[in-house]
Amino acid sequence: MLTRRSLLIATLPLAAAPVPGWLRPARAQSPAQATQFIDQTAKQLVAIIDAGAPAPQKRAQLQQIIDRDVAVAEVAQFCLGRHWRDATPQQQADYVQLFHRVLLNSIAGHLGDYKGITYTIGRATAGDGGVQVPTVLNRPGQPSANLTWLVANVGGGPKIIDLIAEGTSMRLTQRSDYDSYLNRNGGRVQALLDAMKRQASQSG
Amino acid sequence: MRLWTPTWLPAAALLALAISGCATPPPAGDKEALADYRQTNDPLEPTNRVLFAVANGFNEVVIRPLAVGYVNAVPQVVRSHVHNVLANLNTPTILANDMMQGKPQRAGTTLMRLLINTTAGIGGIFDVAAGLGYPEHSSDFGETLAIWGVPEGPFLYLPILGPTDPRDAIGYGVDIALSPETWLLTTGPEMDLEYAQFGLYIIDIYADLMPDLDKVQQQALDPYATFRSLYRQHRHAQIDAIRNDHAATSPDHWYPERPPAQ
Repeated sequence: MLTRRSLLIATLPLAAAPVPGWLRPARAQSPAQATQFIDQTAKQLVAIIDAGAPAPQKRAQLQQIIDRDVAVAEVAQFCLGRHWRDATPQQQADYVQLFHRVLLNSIAGHLGDYKGITYTIGRATAGDGGVQVPTVLNRPGQPSANLTWLVANVGGGPKIIDLIAEGTSMRLTQRSDYDSYLNRNGGRVQALLDAMKRQASQSG
Repeated sequence: MRLWTPTWLPAAALLALAISGCATPPPAGDKEALADYRQTNDPLEPTNRVLFAVANGFNEVVIRPLAVGYVNAVPQVVRSHVHNVLANLNTPTILANDMMQGKPQRAGTTLMRLLINTTAGIGGIFDVAAGLGYPEHSSDFGETLAIWGVPEGPFLYLPILGPTDPRDAIGYGVDIALSPETWLLTTGPEMDLEYAQFGLYIIDIYADLMPDLDKVQQQALDPYATFRSLYRQHRHAQIDAIRNDHAATSPDHWYPERPPAQ
């Protein structure tokens, strides 16, 4: 397990000798880059959690981070699976927008649970779907939890495309939820959109 | 929790048979839908959903009030000691499974936990072993069967066990047989102790999981499908973690300078 300090040391050569842009592969993220990216994002999230800002302000800050660091549209499309093609362009657009709102609500609603959180970053590994960056979250008075971030190059920069908590992938779980809901509602995408609208207005 | 044969379990099994229905597979022409159906591997979905609804009702009416009362009445410190004692009582079962899985390092850790926590930890009240470099891990016969190459089979939702599959349900029964308590506590008053322990075990687990269960119930459009997916993924991750644990027999902290095994 890397500590912050050893992480800093590990990434120092990167900072000292930047690789020219044309040498970097266009699609792949290196494990070191992905680790640095996640450390940066996680630091900002911890800062938002620990600062005593009022809820609407926290939410706005959180939205900024999500918009910048999460490939929301791609994750949304993944979560709709084979039903994406059944949706009209308008439904697709509505769906991505609703997905964004539901995601923001869900994260904003649970920020309070993570007060006083610290984390350590493990050794990142590159795989087919992207680079996996494992972290261990420590909350006061609670057992530590494993959270792995999946990072891929989307739109020219590193983006988070999945979170894997104790072995469970958030996008796979969400996909299975939507798929089952759609199958039980005759595969009508509009039924899913209506349910998501109710969900977004309830908790937002 | 051992040798535990409630009179209504056969009744529940009969109910399950009575309402047993099979999920209708999508038409063969729809290849993607068919692939999804196979991957979900839940041919008893209609029955499972009924049992899921029954279990939810039971949880809401019986288990939740008990768990809420337990959390409100008993301070966190005491609850964690209760958890430690229950975990320590389960250690022989974990040890047997670690060995059957052919994982000497994990078995060694479990044996040290049993010895240290039962003695220095005063019957398991204090988890002294974790602080000495022997952290808790789970291990059950469902996992052992998986390591031996037994497939998981279709998804099941059963009373008491909740989300499971035939491999894990059989594993649960074998774990009961593996526990020394099953064979040591056999007379009337001792059985009462076992029932009390099982009750506390359920409340302990539920109190711990309650916030997460509530989140899924609130946020999922189809909580049943979400629990099914979460259960499967979590089990696969646990089994992969055991399969990929090739650590040598000496505990990590004996050689702190060694780079992390990956």
